[in-house]
Amino acid sequence: MFKKSCLSILVSVTLLSACGSDNDDDNTSFDFDATPMITNLTEDVIVAGYVDLNTKAEAFVAAITTLSTDKTEANLAAAQQAWKNVRQPWEQGESHIFGPVDSLGIDPHLDSWPLNTSDLEDLLSSQSSFTADGVRNSNDDVQGFHTMEFLLFGDGVEDNTKAITEMTDLEIEYLASAAEVFEGYTQDLEDAWLVASDANNASSEAYKDYLLETDNEVYSSQVGVVEELINGLIGIVDEVGNGKIAEPFGSDIDNTDTSLVESQYSWNSLADFTNNIIGVQNVYRGEFEDAADAQGIIDFVSATDSELATRIDDEISAAIANIKAIAGTDDLPFRQAIGDADARVRIQTAIDSLTLLQASLENDVLLLLNEWNVQ
Amino acid sequence: MQSLFVHLKPDNLIIMACKQIQLISLTLLLSQIIIGCDSNDNSSKYPDYALVEKLGDTATAENASNSGHGFSTPIPTLTDDELAQHLTGDVHFETAFTTAPNTEHPELDGLGPVFNNQDCNSCHQRDGRSSTLTIPSTQDRILLGSSAGIFLRMSIEDGLCEYPDADNEYCNNVGVEGFGTQLFHRGVLKARDDWNAQAPDTANPFIGQANVYLSYESSTYTYPDGSSVELKKPLFDIEIPYDVESDDQTSSAIMQDNVRFSPRNGMPVFGLGLLELIAEEDILALEDEDDTNSDGISGRANWVFDPIKARDGDDTPISLGRFGWKASTPSVRVQSLGALRGDMGITNPLFPDESIANTSMHESYLTRTNNEDTGTDIYGDTEASQSFSDDVVFYAETLAVPARRDIDDEDVLAGSILFEQSQCTACHTPSFTTQTGELSIGGKDAPEALKGQKIYPFTDMLLHNMGDELADNRRDFMADGFEWKTRPLWGIGLTKTVNPAAGFLHDGRANTVEEAILWHGGEAAISRTLFANLTSVQRSQLVSFVMSL
Repeated sequence: MFKKSCLSILVSVTLLSACGSDNDDDNTSFDFDATPMITNLTEDVIVAGYVDLNTKAEAFVAAITTLSTDKTEANLAAAQQAWKNVRQPWEQGESHIFGPVDSLGIDPHLDSWPLNTSDLEDLLSSQSSFTADGVRNSNDDVQGFHTMEFLLFGDGVEDNTKAITEMTDLEIEYLASAAEVFEGYTQDLEDAWLVASDANNASSEAYKDYLLETDNEVYSSQVGVVEELINGLIGIVDEVGNGKIAEPFGSDIDNTDTSLVESQYSWNSLADFTNNIIGVQNVYRGEFEDAADAQGIIDFVSATDSELATRIDDEISAAIANIKAIAGTDDLPFRQAIGDADARVRIQTAIDSLTLLQASLENDVLLLLNEWNVQ
Repeated sequence: MQSLFVHLKPDNLIIMACKQIQLISLTLLLSQIIIGCDSNDNSSKYPDYALVEKLGDTATAENASNSGHGFSTPIPTLTDDELAQHLTGDVHFETAFTTAPNTEHPELDGLGPVFNNQDCNSCHQRDGRSSTLTIPSTQDRILLGSSAGIFLRMSIEDGLCEYPDADNEYCNNVGVEGFGTQLFHRGVLKARDDWNAQAPDTANPFIGQANVYLSYESSTYTYPDGSSVELKKPLFDIEIPYDVESDDQTSSAIMQDNVRFSPRNGMPVFGLGLLELIAEEDILALEDEDDTNSDGISGRANWVFDPIKARDGDDTPISLGRFGWKASTPSVRVQSLGALRGDMGITNPLFPDESIANTSMHESYLTRTNNEDTGTDIYGDTEASQSFSDDVVFYAETLAVPARRDIDDEDVLAGSILFEQSQCTACHTPSFTTQTGELSIGGKDAPEALKGQKIYPFTDMLLHNMGDELADNRRDFMADGFEWKTRPLWGIGLTKTVNPAAGFLHDGRANTVEEAILWHGGEAAISRTLFANLTSVQRSQLVSFVMSL
């Protein structure tokens, strides 16, 4: 009985079904072979950036080791500079903060904010020594960039300099332990992209392969990769404009909040913001500053609208220039600039340029995905 | 107390599975013939869900459904004011709390003093599942720390609970003396009075109520065609509980035989407002507690205590459970604010008491730290304000559902038929339409964007016996130790896109959708058998369909 009724239904369905062809083409659709762009952005921007991060993390560990063995003003200055150096590729990499940096918890391990100065000071006053294992098992808000920044530069309220005489041996020991843990994470990040996405499973895919060879459990097609990259740009432009700058800036000069300033101990804030948007430029253009031309999102946009492609590039450049300009002729750090009437005008200009860029990426670039005839 | 649930006997399951295999073989053969056609006018050939792209109707995400942003976008039809609230809640979702006192930002302090994580996002990474931790080959196990998005619920074994009422404490679980109903494996500095001890004692100044170690037990599933899949099951060891000396751990209240533990992994948080607006009667219509239709499936509701009704003076503070792994919370609001207080130790107006209030641990902590972190400030305000609570709840209520991918793919289409034929839809109910009219959600006015939507969550919102292998053997309100709520499948194909280290099921044990299917037992054993008896190509097609969701 079942077989008969089932068969009749299936036969009917077969007869009723019409076979035809799909046609998604319309006036605005465009072709673009994304493989060279994805390959370049993956290998020469994202992975190259993480390799650079790890290399600079190693240099930072070396600088801290030198400081540990030879506690001098010059070695402290070198360690401070090494911290700023390793900060640069990290901040640029925030334009593509997806994959292992998130799944392995590396972002919170390295860049948790706010720092728990209360716990950190309690640790320093209660313990007689520190080890890397101990720091690794600690909460994220007493390790990573900002913990090490606090120990290297001081509290940042009056200045961003710390005399070597102000630094205790125990602080250096904590710093050395935190730096070792830190470098372990940057190595994990590099390895996850280049060797195996799960360090404990040698047969797991190198994460870069998920982008390079789509139709896998992460990206079903190249649409996903390009969408990831564009949304990554939008995410960091939003965060810099509406979070990192706007929140400490406040509604007016009487409502600023210096405690929300990123990298406030080292006064590296404007460099951080600038590097965030340079990171956007790297992905958009497909190459680091001053490198030979390679394919980036700009080529995807150019495939359908070269005028738009140029406009976005100009808007990115303007945003970078306007962030740099916040410092003004008297080279104000961001922490001070939010309380300076003239600098606030410049900050608003930077915010406006980021708002414009974000709108363009959301309304003009992201929507191109709907018109792209992916190959 | 006695369970209302009728446990199906394994023999019956096998007989039913064999009948299904016989039935399915002909239909599979014929359906494969049909699927060869390239037509896009497929509406009559496939189940009605097969060609639906927007699983959340107008509450579906735009321009994010192929990437890791797929779970993280607001419903596009929110009003401007609603969008602003959603975005504020988005910031709160990532807000990391700190040890009290935080003089610069008192609104951020109050973490713990014991907790499982510091912010929402750490367990719901990018609004999705948390990472399943793996173990280095040089180690047998790892300590759960800041990277863990999993924790243990616990309670005293007290039999089943038939139906909640005032006499049985509304079926609330009985907590472990001195600990409660959730094991907080992390702490702020000095959370324990032995925080500064050396090994073999705590040796970790950030230790919580106890250390929890994760290891895995491996097994192999072999298909009838001879191919096999390696499976892993998490095991947990608890050490150095705070209530006893380290050389007397077996005396701890949580080491007793009558304590039941249940691992709980972070789960995706999109589409939840839509699920809350499914009419209760539509869910209850799917109940079949005595399996009257003899399909081997007997879903039932979990009726749970509702703190919002209790707050509002309702004489019967009971609601249909909808959220959590065992449908043990009635609303996004109760689920979210319970997690804020429990997982993070942040008190809020709905849950104003610290998670460990009135325990010796809390009293000791308060004494040693000059009464910091009592849960309320000098004005009587909780650590999270009403507006913070409202915004973060609204965020979780209004995250859009990602759209499907590859719906025209032939394997996906073939899989849509196999999905139905393998009886997956018996529990993973494809579609509902959300309610319309004047509605509240968690006690507040519901946004219009959630109403009247034809949604495809692929869940019946009910409890099912999932067999011994998945059993946690712990009651949760009316749910027994074998029962779990049918997980929504919408968006599941983006799980690894959102978090490549994410795992499936309540303890993250399944690395793939295929593994998750193979863990289905109990009422779902029928479907697992049907799946296992497919050809490898057909199994792949079925998984392809699920991955398209």
